[in-house]
Amino acid sequence: MDCSKIEQWLSEYLESSLPAEDMDLVASHLKACSSCSALADEMRSVLSLCHQYPALEMDPDFVEKILLRTSGRPRTRSFRERLQQYFVRPLLTPRFAVGASIATLFLALTVNLMVPRISGAVSALSPQELLRLLDRGVNQLYGEGLKAYEAKNEWQAQFSRFKNNTWNNLRSIMEQMDGPVQGRRKSNESEPPKENAPKEKSSGVLAERIPPA
Amino acid sequence: MLSGDTKLVERCLHGDDSAWEMLVNSYGKRIYNLSYRYTNRKDEAEDLTQDILIRVYQNLKSYRAESGSFQNWILRVARNLIIDHYRQVRRFPQAGGSEELETMNIQDDRAPNPQRVAEQAEASLFLQSGLQSLSPELKEAIVLRDLEGMAYGDMAELLNVPEGTIKSRINRGRLELAKLLMRRRSQLGMQG
Repeated sequence: MDCSKIEQWLSEYLESSLPAEDMDLVASHLKACSSCSALADEMRSVLSLCHQYPALEMDPDFVEKILLRTSGRPRTRSFRERLQQYFVRPLLTPRFAVGASIATLFLALTVNLMVPRISGAVSALSPQELLRLLDRGVNQLYGEGLKAYEAKNEWQAQFSRFKNNTWNNLRSIMEQMDGPVQGRRKSNESEPPKENAPKEKSSGVLAERIPPA
Repeated sequence: MLSGDTKLVERCLHGDDSAWEMLVNSYGKRIYNLSYRYTNRKDEAEDLTQDILIRVYQNLKSYRAESGSFQNWILRVARNLIIDHYRQVRRFPQAGGSEELETMNIQDDRAPNPQRVAEQAEASLFLQSGLQSLSPELKEAIVLRDLEGMAYGDMAELLNVPEGTIKSRINRGRLELAKLLMRRRSQLGMQG
């Protein structure tokens, strides 16, 4: 077969879009003809280059420019872009950098001042120190308990004394009050009581009205 | 896809700006890359992309879903403006510098290997210069098919030529690039 005819079919042969008979014809020719075979190889390389050819990406600002010039509406931003716009970009400003530096410095100084206290607190957490603290606490608690017990006993004694005194006072007062009463009772026992007089009087009246049988 | 784009166009015509933004996001990058393939300059490609999208926005009312896909319609608008631009400039685009290649966002998830990046940059430079050496018709066919991945049917509809013609142009373009690559390899072999 003629090489020029093969060249005409070469592209379709590489795409396997030729009829089966023609595919066989071209394949057999390529086996026999080195120049056509080399050309087919180069065409394969060209196709491979075309498929690997890089594609340009459109810059988002360029898309925005087109949209503003057509519909007048700005580009819809993705969540990531909005996140960058509102959070990441402000964080990357010089103002934020200065603020962050000052805050870091302040934090470092604060930590530096706090470290001795923290280390002291940490050393107090050793087992020996804990036992000592516990012992001191128990002793203090026991002492407080004793004090409270003594105070309670004292209060109790004071109360009992007060109670006895009060009771004695009351009894003496009552005795003093009972004294004249008993004296009057004794004097009344010699004389007829006054309150019986009307009875006697009434009985007298009755005696007068009703003659004894 | 077709119905989705048509719905977006309808929403645009009813004043929904978010629908227009979705269309720009869908087709902007493609138009930008197409413009870059033709102009080979980023600044010109940006200007062209902007002009194309403004023209599309202004002429959305003229789109008829019955007459074809929105993709082909928008690419036709783009192609017409790119051809107008080419006629105005009246020159073959200059090959872009390596600086522009470095700024390209290479879509590769693998870890950046310096040797691989260098090879890719070299291959891209070769392809760019090779494309500039092709005639506009062949270049257009290669760009749409091999760089943009368009189907033959869509290309025939877009360029308004039979599918056989499209295939022929693509084959010729690929052959020229293959021969160019072959010559380059032989030159490098002689130098080495």
